[in-house]
Amino acid sequence: MVSNVTSTQQPVIAAGKLTKRYQGSVLALDELTVAIPAGITALVGANGAGKSTLIKILLGLLPATSGSATVLGYDCVTDGSAIRTHTGYMPEHDCLPPDTSATEFVTHLGRMSGLPATAAKERAADSLRHVGLYEERYRQIGTYSTGMKQRVKLAQALVGDPRLLLLDEPTNGLDPAGRSAMLDLITRIGSEFGISILVASHLLGEIEQICDHLVALDGGRLLRADTISSITRSSEFLLIEVDEGGELLADELGRRGLAPVAYQRGLLVQLADDADHDTVRDVLADLGLPLNRLEQRRHRLEELFSDVGSEAVAYEAKGAADVRG
Amino acid sequence: MSADNAGVIHNIGYRAYQGQRLGRAEIVRALCWYSLRSAFGFGRGAKAKIVPVLTFVVMCAPAVISAVVIALSSNHTRPISYDTYVSALRILVLIVFLAAQAPDVVSRDLRSHTLPLYFARPIKRIDYPAAKLAAFIIALLAMIEIPLLILYLGTVSQLHSGSQIWHETKALIPGLLLGVAWAVLLGGLGLLFASFSGRRAYATGAVAIFFFMTLTLARVLIQIGQESVGGAGLAKLAGLISPFTVLDGLRQWLGGTSLGIVPKPGGDGVLYGLMFVVFLVVGVGGLILRYRKVGVA
Repeated sequence: MVSNVTSTQQPVIAAGKLTKRYQGSVLALDELTVAIPAGITALVGANGAGKSTLIKILLGLLPATSGSATVLGYDCVTDGSAIRTHTGYMPEHDCLPPDTSATEFVTHLGRMSGLPATAAKERAADSLRHVGLYEERYRQIGTYSTGMKQRVKLAQALVGDPRLLLLDEPTNGLDPAGRSAMLDLITRIGSEFGISILVASHLLGEIEQICDHLVALDGGRLLRADTISSITRSSEFLLIEVDEGGELLADELGRRGLAPVAYQRGLLVQLADDADHDTVRDVLADLGLPLNRLEQRRHRLEELFSDVGSEAVAYEAKGAADVRG
Repeated sequence: MSADNAGVIHNIGYRAYQGQRLGRAEIVRALCWYSLRSAFGFGRGAKAKIVPVLTFVVMCAPAVISAVVIALSSNHTRPISYDTYVSALRILVLIVFLAAQAPDVVSRDLRSHTLPLYFARPIKRIDYPAAKLAAFIIALLAMIEIPLLILYLGTVSQLHSGSQIWHETKALIPGLLLGVAWAVLLGGLGLLFASFSGRRAYATGAVAIFFFMTLTLARVLIQIGQESVGGAGLAKLAGLISPFTVLDGLRQWLGGTSLGIVPKPGGDGVLYGLMFVVFLVVGVGGLILRYRKVGVA
C-alpha cells in the first residue's frame, strides 16, 4: 500500500478555498479552507450547510467550482481513483438492494473496491462481524431493521480496508439505542482499527461525545475548526441539588467566588478549574447540607454556536445537557 | 443487540488488508461478471431465475427438436436456418427476456440508489454502463448463439463426410455473426430503456412497449405496403421502424436468403445498414449519457 501520508502531523483532509456552486447559482461551499488531522472528526452544520457536498467533492464524485482539496495526500481532481481506493464512504440515504443478502452485497462491493474474489469474501465476513451482523448476514437485506441496514452500510465502507472513512449522517433514522450502538461502533473503528473518520452530522450533541476534532460549517463557510476539548473546556458545569438549604448554598457559593444559577431543582455552577470542585465540596461539607445530586454537565455544542454569552439562558432553552458521570 | 455484541466485536480485532489490490480493468470485469449473473437471476432467489431460465429453454427447444428430427429422419436435412432461426419465436422470446432482465441489470441499482457506492470506488463513471452493457450483450449472446450451436451440433452429429460438415459450418458462421449484431443492438437499446426508471414495472414496461410497439407498427405498415398498389416503398420504409425489422433487413442486405419479416430490400438495403448504426449509436450513446447525468446524491 503506497502511503502519501508520512506523518500524523500532515492533515488527512485539506481544503483550500474550496467553492462549489450548483447550477442555478446555489452556493453550497464558499471558499472553504480547512485542514483535518487524523482521528475522528465531526463535520457539523445544519441541513444544507454543505456537509454532503464537501464529502462528495473529497471523493471526486462532484467537481469543485474552484479551489483545491487533498485527501490522504492525493489530489481530489487528479487522483480521485487513488482516494477512492483508500477511502470508505457511507452515504446518508438508503443505498442497499433489498433482494440480496448482506454477505453477497458487501462481498460484491469489496470486489468493486479492488479486492480479489477470495479476499473480498473474507473481508466482507470480517466487516459484517465487526459491525455486529452474524447469522443475519445471510438473510436478504430487505428483511433488516433500520439499525441493521445502517450497519451494512458501514460494513460496505469498511470492506476495502480504508485508511479514511467518510460517514454521512450515520445515525439517521436510528432509535436512541441504535444511535448509541452506532456511535460506539464508530469510536471503536476510530480508536482500535486506527482508521481516520470524518462523521457528518447535524446532531452536535451526540457527535461531540465521540470525536477528537470538530469542523463546523454554516452556509458553506467554515464556522469553526478545533479540537473538541478546546471547544468544550470553557463550558463545564456542575449541577448541585440539595434536599434543603438551597438558598444558603447559593449565598455561600457566591461568597466564595462562584456564580451559581438556579436550574431546575438545583444550582448550576460554571467550573473554571479543578479548584472549583474543591470549593463546592468544602461548601457542602461546611454547611452540612443533605446532598441529593452532584453532576458534571456540559454544554451541547449547539449552544456554543447559538449563544455563548448567557450560558444559563441558552442552557435552559436547549433543554438538558449531556450527563457526565 | 449492540450491547451484547460489543464484547464479541472487540475480541475479533481488526485485520488490515495487505494483499493485492486489483486495478480498474479487473474491477470492471468483476462488475461485468456480477451483472451477467444477475441477468440470469444468479445470486438471488429462485424467483429471479424463472423468466431467464424459461426463456432460455424455450429458445433452445426448436434446436433440440430439430436435432431429434434430423436423427430420426432418413435424409438428415436441417429444418431451421441459421440466419433466421425460428424468427417469430426468437423475437417474442427476446422481447420477454429484454423486458424482464434488462431492468434486473440496470434499474435495480437505480431503485435502491446503489450507484453512489459504485462511484465511490476506484472506477470511472463510464465504467459502470460499459460493464453493464458488456454483461447484457453477453447474456443476449448466450440466448441467441447457444441455440444456434445446439442446432449445429445436432446437425453435424448426423453427418459423416468432412465436406458436409464444412458446408454446415459455412452456413452457421453468418448466423453467429448476425447473432452478434442482434445482441449488440438489442442490448444497447434494452438497457437504455430499462435505465429510464428505477421502478421495475416502469422499466419493464418501457422496454416491452418500445420493442413490441415498434415491431407491431412496422409489421402492420409492411403488410399494408405489400397489399396496396405501389406500396413497396412504404413497406421498405416501415422496416426501418423496429430494431427487429432493421436486423432482418440488414441480414437480407448482407446476403441472407431465408424468408424474413421484411420484404427483400434490394438496392435499398443500405438503409437498413444505416438504421442499424443509428439504433446502435442511440442505444450505446444514450446509455453512456444516461449515466453521465445520473445523480450521486
